[in-house]
Amino acid sequence: MNQVSELATIDRDGAVARLTLNRPDARNALSLDLLAALRARVAELAKTPDVTVCVIEGAGKAFCAGMDLRAVLDEPGAPEKLLSEIAELTLELRALPMTTVAKVRGGAIGGGCGLMCVCDISITHPEAKIGFPEVDLGVCPAVVAPWLALRVGHGQARRILLEGGTMTGRRAAEIGLVSTVVEEGELDTRAQALSERLAGAGPEALRATKTWLNKLESGPDGGDLAEMVRSGARLSASVVTSEEARTRLRQMFAGSGPR
Amino acid sequence: MIRIEHIETPGGMVALAMIDRREKRNALTPDMLANLRDCAVRLREESHSTGPDGVRAVAIGGEGDVFCSGFDLSMCRDDDLAMGALLTRLSETVRAFRRLPIPVVIGVQGGAIAGGCALLGGADFVVVNADAKLGYPVVRLGVSPAVASPLLVRAVGAGRARERLLDPGLIDGREAARIGLAHECVPDSDGVRPRMMEIATALAVKPPHAIRATKLWLNHVDGTGRDDEFDEALQASLSLCGSEEERERLAALWKG
Repeated sequence: MNQVSELATIDRDGAVARLTLNRPDARNALSLDLLAALRARVAELAKTPDVTVCVIEGAGKAFCAGMDLRAVLDEPGAPEKLLSEIAELTLELRALPMTTVAKVRGGAIGGGCGLMCVCDISITHPEAKIGFPEVDLGVCPAVVAPWLALRVGHGQARRILLEGGTMTGRRAAEIGLVSTVVEEGELDTRAQALSERLAGAGPEALRATKTWLNKLESGPDGGDLAEMVRSGARLSASVVTSEEARTRLRQMFAGSGPR
Repeated sequence: MIRIEHIETPGGMVALAMIDRREKRNALTPDMLANLRDCAVRLREESHSTGPDGVRAVAIGGEGDVFCSGFDLSMCRDDDLAMGALLTRLSETVRAFRRLPIPVVIGVQGGAIAGGCALLGGADFVVVNADAKLGYPVVRLGVSPAVASPLLVRAVGAGRARERLLDPGLIDGREAARIGLAHECVPDSDGVRPRMMEIATALAVKPPHAIRATKLWLNHVDGTGRDDEFDEALQASLSLCGSEEERERLAALWKG
């Protein structure tokens, strides 16, 4: 087991920081420990004014496989805790003053796709697996719905969440869920070029623009965004703990074998 | 003129509501809209059953060459209250479908014009054929399509909603899918109904509790679970009813 602090790491290269989800053996699934580590790293970034751009990526084969429900499914109070941590992480990540870029290799699923939506810009490759398969598992993606709606609009968000399943990176770019799609072999160099381009902009102009965009953002219906994300987390938690969801999740865990 | 069938699918029942007044290109009367609205109310009850009779998805289509050509304006010829009734029933119907706790799929072949286009707001998924004609050409008649605005803004964004509601021109199915008024475009009108049923059948398999929670949450997130905006939009359309401009322009229709 990694130390909590090693589950999320930061490297600096001038004005560009790289935040890595470092739980590759679990495809960077969001466990309570990983969420705690990410929140700590995001808090550090919030206090690092000379970083202009933050690239977020996953160690290993996938960006992020979503919530790690396996360990907590039968532990009273744990799903609620997990979802509330995700809500807070997304709010803190959005509030960062630097421009955030999600570099998605392999897949961004469920809560992982939610993290991608919270970032300002995202880049992936055509074969990546992207989406919100929550409803297929009897789970309700309420906590990420506000972020998805801000990213792709209400109509598209409705279709994506009710349809469930996943889509390719190519399709995700077509519908605006991802900003850019490049061949997998070029992902590193293109993400590097993107972050250098961003870092070349006036740091104050970039920061002022991002802060302004955040300020414009009330909840998608004009209400309070933070309250909507938090109550979404409570709804997601109540559905996760329902019998319908537990039955489906147990079947899925039984089928996938030990990690 | 509104026909409901229940179709057994692997995930449970899919309710198919067909508008059938094909000799009038499925032009809507206040009674037809009231029937559709009541149908949504019944389907809400039927969606609660967890057994095999539980309705898990709704598909709405139109018989004949055209999904729906809009209001039957001949109703307004001798009845000053007809336009108000049409607008009010339309608003009630669209809200009732939007708030169903199960997915709603609409299939549009040929065209969805004015009130027919506004019906699409009640759907989560819209399938259209490439050459279908869609839009709100009612400002020409001195009628305001404001009633459709709350859901159109959610579907296509505020900028495009402005274009579509102010410009009486029509767009084709390809363009509708590109801007988000429809979600999927099929090449031929014959392909619309099978694809609509395919989508409804696939959605019916999904776990009902998760779908219900997700759909109602989406309505909360985008504000369409509340009535205030719908009421104001309806009032904006109703405020023109009986105006001189509307009466003159509608009267010009009968003169040909």
